Amino acid sequence: MSLLAVSNLTKNYRRTGKPVAAVDDVSFTIEPGETLALAGPSGSGKSTIARLVLRLIEPDAGRIEFEGSDFLVLRGAALRARRARLQMVFQDPLAAFNPRATVARVLDDPLRIHGIASRAERPRRIAALLERVGLAADLAPRAIHEISGGQRQRVAIARAIATKPSLIVLDEAVSALDVSVRGQILDLLLDLQRQDKIAYLFISHDLGVVRAVAHRVILLNAGRIAESGDARAVIDAPRSAIGRALVAAAPKLNRAKT
Amino acid sequence: MSPLRRFLRTPEAVAGAILLGALAAMALSASLLFPGDPQAIAGPALLPPFQDWSLPLGTDRLGRDVLAELFHGARTSLAVGLAAAAAALAIGAVVGTLAGFADGLVDEVLMRVTDAFQTVPSFLLALAFVSVVGPSLGIVVIAIALGTWTGPARVARAEVLSIRERDYVANARAIGMHPLEIAFREVLPNALPPVLAMSSVIVAAAILTEAALSFLGLGDPNRVTWGGMIAEGRTVLRTAPFLSIVPGIALVLTVLGVYLAGEGIVETTAVKRGLS
Ligand SMILES: Nc1ncnc2c1ncn2[C@@H]1O[C@H](COP(=O)(O)OP(=O)(O)O)[C@@H](O)[C@H]1O
Ligand SMILES: [Mg+2]
Repeated sequence: MSLLAVSNLTKNYRRTGKPVAAVDDVSFTIEPGETLALAGPSGSGKSTIARLVLRLIEPDAGRIEFEGSDFLVLRGAALRARRARLQMVFQDPLAAFNPRATVARVLDDPLRIHGIASRAERPRRIAALLERVGLAADLAPRAIHEISGGQRQRVAIARAIATKPSLIVLDEAVSALDVSVRGQILDLLLDLQRQDKIAYLFISHDLGVVRAVAHRVILLNAGRIAESGDARAVIDAPRSAIGRALVAAAPKLNRAKT
Repeated sequence: MSPLRRFLRTPEAVAGAILLGALAAMALSASLLFPGDPQAIAGPALLPPFQDWSLPLGTDRLGRDVLAELFHGARTSLAVGLAAAAAALAIGAVVGTLAGFADGLVDEVLMRVTDAFQTVPSFLLALAFVSVVGPSLGIVVIAIALGTWTGPARVARAEVLSIRERDYVANARAIGMHPLEIAFREVLPNALPPVLAMSSVIVAAAILTEAALSFLGLGDPNRVTWGGMIAEGRTVLRTAPFLSIVPGIALVLTVLGVYLAGEGIVETTAVKRGLS
């Protein structure tokens, strides 16, 4: 049984009168412990799919099954409780946190909300989470805006794994980082996946990164699936026009192959 | 340059701060310098100012010490002004946050209520409320707040509408935070700066409204108020104009001080935010 099964997902936005199909009849599955990449040009609907899967916005049509049950019927407290299993890491780790937050508070929230640890136990759990993502425990009292971008994204990952999710949606989670930091964060994600069998819905416009981390890839164009399959097979020999265009536009990828 | 230093380099802001400081000093020292009932008779009636140095500003129609009344009146003005403004800002921030954060029916209903309050002139609302419930300090505070919370509510709502689209709000939802916690812990504190920027105008308006209510005899009868002093003095305006002029000047300087200092704070912190 698939961990996540999305079928015929559709989302329209109304932009100055005429509707735009941001996501148009998209279906896919993710297996436990698997990394599925969503790639495609800007505006192709990647973030919209991420937000739909996370129930941050509601689809116009389609089904989402998560861990074997209908995810779209959940409301209120039942939905909030279920969110523990399905987490997200955003592109810009500064925008993703309350500007007034400290590292400790950001990590305390999921532990408190889902009753994972008692108030007395939480500081220890926070220290363990920080250690898990390769950060020093004494970072806890620091303000989010004081730490570096790479540290911030590690904190975001620590927050995402705090509730022991089975799926994490990463929307351009490494795109804003320096190349050297990006490699470290990708290694961390792969380590966590190996240890905890976490599945990733990995959104990126960078096919080089996708090829390195994803098992399978879906190429999107204007809200529709243009091509999908084994990540290396698709990227090494794209069959769709948009696939060829994306590969041609990724210079590092070409150099690596020749 | 630090905001404090920038504040100190703005002459209007410094003037405002000095006026406010003087007002606060008067309010705080009132019961030290003028212990006892300021409404008690202290000397002959209608003594002009600067005649008797134990009663520097003279006495009113009933022989009460005008300076003592002025100091005790500063207390009432400041207390009512600050309390009413705090209440108005708190009500406005909460209503605006709920309206902006909850869409659909809740927003609609709250904004209709806000419209309704806004269409009634705030002074008439305060007047009607005090006339019905009866004058006391607490009621005057509530009456003024009732007429002034709508402005902060609109500003808070507009700010919340923009903040609720930010990633960190989506992030809070994604970890399963309750909507009320998101509204009041994640969104409201970040929506406050533009709401607080309105405080000087609101405090100034509240002080004026309190004075106007007292002038009409709707202030707390057990307290000296500048509005009440002006009203008292009016009956002997021709023979003893100072009785109305002295509290009138105090009122003007206070409102001016609050406004200048408030604007100074907003300006200096806004520049800081613009630069960072
Ligand atoms: N809140 C919104 N309102 C209107 N249109 C939107 C909104 N969000 C996304 N869109 C539109 O939907 C399409 C897909 O956007 P998005 O999912 O953000 O693409 P991507 O993440 O692949 O760059 C774009 O055409 C975008 O303009
Ligand atoms: Mg996007």
